[in-house]
Amino acid sequence: MTKRFFASLALIFLTLAALTAQAPAGKEELKLKLPKPMFIGTPTNLKSANLEAITGKSRGPFYVPAGTVLLSAKKKVTSSDTQPVIGELDMITDGEKSGGDGYFVELGPGPQWVQIDLGASRALSAILAWHYHSQARIYRDVMVLVSDDPAFKTGVTTVFNNDHDNSSKMTVGKDKEYIEVAEGKLIDPKGAKGRYVRLSSNGNTTNDLNHYVEVEVYGLPK
Amino acid sequence: MTRAVAGALVALALTAGLALRTARLTERPMHHDEANQAVKFAALLERGEYRYDARDHHGPTLYYLTLPSAWLRGQHTLALLDEATLRGVPVVFGAATILLLPLLSAGIGRTAVVTAALLMALSPAMVFYSRMYIQEALFACFALAFVIGVGRVATGGGFAWAAMTGVAAGLAMATKETAAIVVPSAVAAAAIAWWSVGAGRPPNALIGRHLRRATLVGLAAAAGVVALFYSSFFSAPAALLELFRAAGTYLDRGIDPSSHIQPWHYYLQLLTYSASGGLRWSEGLVLALAVVGTIAAWQRSDGSSSGSSFWPRYLAGDVVIAGGIFSAIPYKTPWNLLPFYAGAFALAGVGFATLVSKERSRLVRVLVAGALAAGSVHLGWQAWRAAITYAADPRNPYVYAQTVPDAVRMAARIRHLSALHPDGARMQVSVIAPPSEQWPLPWYLRGMPNVGYWTAPGDVLALQAPVIVSSLEHAPALEQALGDRYVSEYFGLRPELLLAVYIDRGLWDRFLATARPGSEDPGATRELDARPTRRLSAVRGAPVFRPGRTAAERVP
Repeated sequence: MTKRFFASLALIFLTLAALTAQAPAGKEELKLKLPKPMFIGTPTNLKSANLEAITGKSRGPFYVPAGTVLLSAKKKVTSSDTQPVIGELDMITDGEKSGGDGYFVELGPGPQWVQIDLGASRALSAILAWHYHSQARIYRDVMVLVSDDPAFKTGVTTVFNNDHDNSSKMTVGKDKEYIEVAEGKLIDPKGAKGRYVRLSSNGNTTNDLNHYVEVEVYGLPK
Repeated sequence: MTRAVAGALVALALTAGLALRTARLTERPMHHDEANQAVKFAALLERGEYRYDARDHHGPTLYYLTLPSAWLRGQHTLALLDEATLRGVPVVFGAATILLLPLLSAGIGRTAVVTAALLMALSPAMVFYSRMYIQEALFACFALAFVIGVGRVATGGGFAWAAMTGVAAGLAMATKETAAIVVPSAVAAAAIAWWSVGAGRPPNALIGRHLRRATLVGLAAAAGVVALFYSSFFSAPAALLELFRAAGTYLDRGIDPSSHIQPWHYYLQLLTYSASGGLRWSEGLVLALAVVGTIAAWQRSDGSSSGSSFWPRYLAGDVVIAGGIFSAIPYKTPWNLLPFYAGAFALAGVGFATLVSKERSRLVRVLVAGALAAGSVHLGWQAWRAAITYAADPRNPYVYAQTVPDAVRMAARIRHLSALHPDGARMQVSVIAPPSEQWPLPWYLRGMPNVGYWTAPGDVLALQAPVIVSSLEHAPALEQALGDRYVSEYFGLRPELLLAVYIDRGLWDRFLATARPGSEDPGATRELDARPTRRLSAVRGAPVFRPGRTAAERVP
């Protein structure tokens, strides 16, 4: 009886806490439009130092500086693979996030990158990337870099790197690998500033190819 | 079309077919069935051991016919075998299947034969499965040889053809148990075609008192070949009885399968049109021409003595009967379409020859020929994509439960780690996974003698290895047991099937040191010990390390 009472009390408390949750001062919740999930059955019992825990639940709110907007919509995309196997590079910033056929661009095998030109240097609040979410996959050596140099030779900020085995021979990535899901991978650039955002990968657990459904870069407009 | 022109065109088709069948032959990761066949073959290669298994693995021809390939390449152990040696065997039989088609010249004409050879050479399905170390390419070759043989006997081929037909039947039966479908289908189709042509039947010296002798010659040849192979060249005569036990196994699996269940139109749909992940595939050209050939076959009423009505009707009947039976069986895998699809190419040839011969306008004939050429180029392009570009991609409809490239990287990682370990290639590796998730690791780790296989965690011996491969099912238990002493990685085995790899932290640190810019990569510079080793031998006090395998886990 006592156990049940305390359990009910905890449940009420947690519900109220969720309802009354507020954004930290000067921040607001990033409102995202997410695609429908394309597959079920991702193992949820995986716990590993090198793989993001799969909870099977939604990610929860992510807070960004007030006034944050989507900077990457319809922006120019370039790539190490100038002739994608399937699709066009502009599909990466066209706002279509469906996991179905016809919504992704397929780049060649091995290490490949795509680069979004935001048009001007901006302080970034969030980067959301979908590689291919119609199948449970892990993309290899995912790196997200920000710079004002289109060649990424100077002033490069690494905001994400899960090249845990240093196969790219740059540096050992400390971020975890993750299984692709419909809500995409949310990366916190922690205010990193730059005009260009480059995302790279090196095949995936299903094939050697690289895919992008959509990339969204959020930041302050000025 | 003159014989010389036809011969040249068939040679051209064969060249194109061989190019598609051999290009980058070793690149596709070994399918778990290929790996399983390779390990079974290695027992024959290394120790001369072969015993027919009524529950699995199909017939013995694949293994015995791989011996010359291994001997020619100087490979006498599993550790020394490579993909080219193994896959070279189905390549040879895939090409031989094309070379069987000219034997139909007298029955369907040279134009039809050349068309059939071209389409078969470029067909994505025929190309893809001729590059796979499974029984199918051999079986399709023997099945088509039998079909041709039955037709030749029916149209006056004599005793030599009866014997050849028996040998083909025997080889088909010694290759795959589904010969029980293919052989009667051909005989039934021949009987129907024979009956249907009525007065147009070709003269046949065997009809009458010689028929019984010809039948006995064929049966004796078939029985001899079957006995030879199934008894392991008479070293195990009792194994012949296993054939009868196998009949029950495959009957149960076909009618009441626990997996691989597909609708009746599976093969038809696969060949007609399929699309997945932005890729589109179709062998509709072959099917459309085969339909034209079938219609033409049953419209012919010329009653000529050349057998021109018999052959198209016979081929159409065979494709329809065998294809119908395979389609009616709930258990389906894509490569099972080969034995009846091989006959469809001859029928497609008949269809094209009919279209060309019926048209009097030279311009229209040229246009039809141009359409065939364009369609053939499209088929060849698809075959390249199927066999090379998307050879292991699940969007490729010919790919089925295929090992993904990530699994090859996993094996390379393990070999790389062993090069950094004091024991080298003799480093212990524990694989803790159900049998279906162990393959094709025994192939990729064949140069490492101390690889142990467990189906469940719990054995202390398994947990003492510096590298442990685990199914995700056992990953939580292993994470708990191994703690911080191990670093984990994940690798794909098949689409949507991952394996976890646990690496001793000290070994991982040594590995990372080699991954720094400018550091030497031991995996690239130090060859693993590939000397002949005892396969999957035991480490101290351990049980013999063998990968698990049960009949239900293999895809026949």
